[in-house]
Amino acid sequence: MDLLQRFAHGEIDAFETLVRQFQGDIYAWTVRIVRDPGVAEDLTVETLWRVYRARHQFRPDGNFGAWARRIATNLAIDHLRSNRPEQSFPAEPAGVQQPDPLVQREARERIQQAFRRLPAKLQVAATLALVEELPYEEIASALGTSVGAVKLRVFRAVRILRKRLSRAGIRPE
Amino acid sequence: MKEHEDKYMTEHDDRQIRDALKQSFSPVKTEPRRDLWPDVLRKLDVCPVRVPWYDWVLVGLSAVMFLAFPRLVLVFAYHL
Repeated sequence: MDLLQRFAHGEIDAFETLVRQFQGDIYAWTVRIVRDPGVAEDLTVETLWRVYRARHQFRPDGNFGAWARRIATNLAIDHLRSNRPEQSFPAEPAGVQQPDPLVQREARERIQQAFRRLPAKLQVAATLALVEELPYEEIASALGTSVGAVKLRVFRAVRILRKRLSRAGIRPE
Repeated sequence: MKEHEDKYMTEHDDRQIRDALKQSFSPVKTEPRRDLWPDVLRKLDVCPVRVPWYDWVLVGLSAVMFLAFPRLVLVFAYHL
């Protein structure tokens, strides 16, 4: 019986081997989305626990890594949803130029804030596509959707962000 | 002409947003700081995989049905 079959039958040794093999990949994927090592570790542990709990649903001829990554993505989306910042920043007159580095740093923080207020699914697609520059196919597979849907989410994220930033008087340099 | 300019400005702004976003988020270390297996094992011990209460209710109801109507076993077996 191979490793994945043994895992599907609930053998803890097989699961340990898989955890050691895939924990790095799951952590790397999660930390790219949530951008906080502590949170990413917690979510990775939660993902692996859920993976074990759902072992009966796993087909031993399937792709374990892709399956675990999808579970990790859903957990990360749930985390972003429940930790979405509530408050918005006050509007400023449009077109204010910000050459001062300190002000630019503030602008970056406000861009991050505005980004964190996007709907979780848009945020994940935009983080992975624009910040991490991962291939759309990889993102689509982890989100369980099509490449077209990912592109649409990224497009919507950029548009919403542009509107919000312009309303707050922030012009990215 | 105005429409063309607007489209150009929108694309230009979008590109700026994308660049700003990339600059706003510093790169993250993608290596875990420690082995997570002990945490997973602890979680498995603390939260053992349990059968939810509604599954037990379902099993109980099925048992009662099979006792009351034994022929249902055949119907059930046929659908398995």
